[in-house]
Amino acid sequence: MVPAISIQSLTKFYGRLQALGQVSFQVEEGDFFGFLGPNGAGKTTTISVVTGLANYQAGEVEVFGYDVRREYRKTRALIGLVPQEFNFDPFLSAEQILVFEAGYFGFPRRAAQRRAEELLASFDLLKKRKEGYKRLSGGMKRRLLIARALMHQPKILVLDEPTAGIDLELRHRMWEFLRRINREGTTVFLTTHYIEEAEKLCNRIGVIHQGRMMAVDPTEVLIRKMARDRVELYLKRPISEIPEELRSLGVELANGGLKIQFEEREDRVGRVLQILHQRQAEIQRLDVRRPTLEDAFLKLTGSTLTPPLVGRGLG
Amino acid sequence: MKSLIGFQTLVGREIYRFFSVFTQTIIPPVVSSFLYIFIFGFSLGQRIENIHGFPYLVFLVPGLVMMYVIEGAYSNTSSSLFISRWANNIEELLVTPLSYFQMVLAVLIGGLARSLVVALGVYLVSLFFVQFPMAHLGTVVYFLTLVSLAFSSVGMIVALFAEEFEHLSICTTFVITPLIFFGGVFHSLEMVPRGIKWLTVFNPMFYMINGLRYGMLGTSDAPVLLSAVIVMVIFVALFSLTVYLFRIGFKLRK
Repeated sequence: MVPAISIQSLTKFYGRLQALGQVSFQVEEGDFFGFLGPNGAGKTTTISVVTGLANYQAGEVEVFGYDVRREYRKTRALIGLVPQEFNFDPFLSAEQILVFEAGYFGFPRRAAQRRAEELLASFDLLKKRKEGYKRLSGGMKRRLLIARALMHQPKILVLDEPTAGIDLELRHRMWEFLRRINREGTTVFLTTHYIEEAEKLCNRIGVIHQGRMMAVDPTEVLIRKMARDRVELYLKRPISEIPEELRSLGVELANGGLKIQFEEREDRVGRVLQILHQRQAEIQRLDVRRPTLEDAFLKLTGSTLTPPLVGRGLG
Repeated sequence: MKSLIGFQTLVGREIYRFFSVFTQTIIPPVVSSFLYIFIFGFSLGQRIENIHGFPYLVFLVPGLVMMYVIEGAYSNTSSSLFISRWANNIEELLVTPLSYFQMVLAVLIGGLARSLVVALGVYLVSLFFVQFPMAHLGTVVYFLTLVSLAFSSVGMIVALFAEEFEHLSICTTFVITPLIFFGGVFHSLEMVPRGIKWLTVFNPMFYMINGLRYGMLGTSDAPVLLSAVIVMVIFVALFSLTVYLFRIGFKLRK
């Protein structure tokens, strides 16, 4: 089967600065693909190349087998783009924005009006249809961006940070909507800062860091590959030091000798329990902390996806 | 078929844009043409002797029409494209399956539509003062269309190079307006001092204004065929350059 998006050895410079270096990955048809990376990693640049908003110096980029440079009209017809920033036509109302958009993609006016009506209703924008976009709230503008991208019924929906800066309720409604259109057959390519979002929605994840691909895997595989379960054993009585046999298994002591913790691998938990039993240490509780995408991301890039607010002062 | 609908939609959007701000795009040139005709043609013109056998007011009308056609075409495409770059909604267009040729041509047709509406307005204003039969209607249509499309291309090129709004008016103030005025809107080549007469032949506006004057009055300072060829060459060169700039994504793609 032809991949929905195929990127091979993509290299892109801004002047002398290399933004993307030998980036390669594929998005299969029907995927809900998460594209993760910290700010400036190259996510938006990659999207821009795929959608035709950026030139590139080397590599092959195809959408359903069509080259994005040589066959740009075919590739663009297949993609709906939800950009990070609002980029609406300042002369048009919400409804006109949708109708004109469909027109650019070849929809006859009547069909475009019907489709606009449907999408305005499903995005709860019907009451604002005659308003210019500047009179819409941030959440409404965000919904209008998605509605616009869907007007021509694209086979691939590309979303660049669609939930940045929107409230929790709207975010959850948007998740539901994206899940639904993905179930109905639209391939979704999503960049996000929210690990939770990618973890909940995406079946495959690509991680980019400093313009280079660090990993591309099914979400579960990526998490398992990069991070393991962390086992925490709480003891009834504290121990002063870790027995020699446990130290070689990477076990650490915490909570003043009341907690033993380690990364689970190759049935390590069985051996630890056996040794503790032999030492007659009584266990009060056992916790297993499942690894998250954040852990995997941390391991891959050495940084968290969203830097903490503390330390990002204005000074 | 789909491609044609996309093209028509963009033409429609361009026409809608200038009509939605008609107080800035249509009314001002019509009002100022009235002032020119009234002051220069009707009042002062009565003291000027006939030029090429026509009263000054009649001689003035084709020049004024061409002046506003050029300004209208340039302003329309330069502001439309620059605002699109500035508001970033040019990206909305660049991700559509329209070809670069279609994108450019549709925007140019928007400029053509505006300048034809303005030309009609200026001509209707002139009818209050003077009436004369059109000498060669086909020639009128040829020059109005090609000059308008050529300056619509200039507007797009300038809008691509411009970094600020002021850059658009710099081109009008320092290049277009002086060339129009020296090109013979208000005077005949006969009235230019002999020492600098030769300079006029390097002014493209001279051929545009005289081409339209030939179409409307049947008289011209330049051979009409030469004017027609020069206008065509200028249009083809500017149109090709605009399409080329779109194709390479000059200041459009990152």
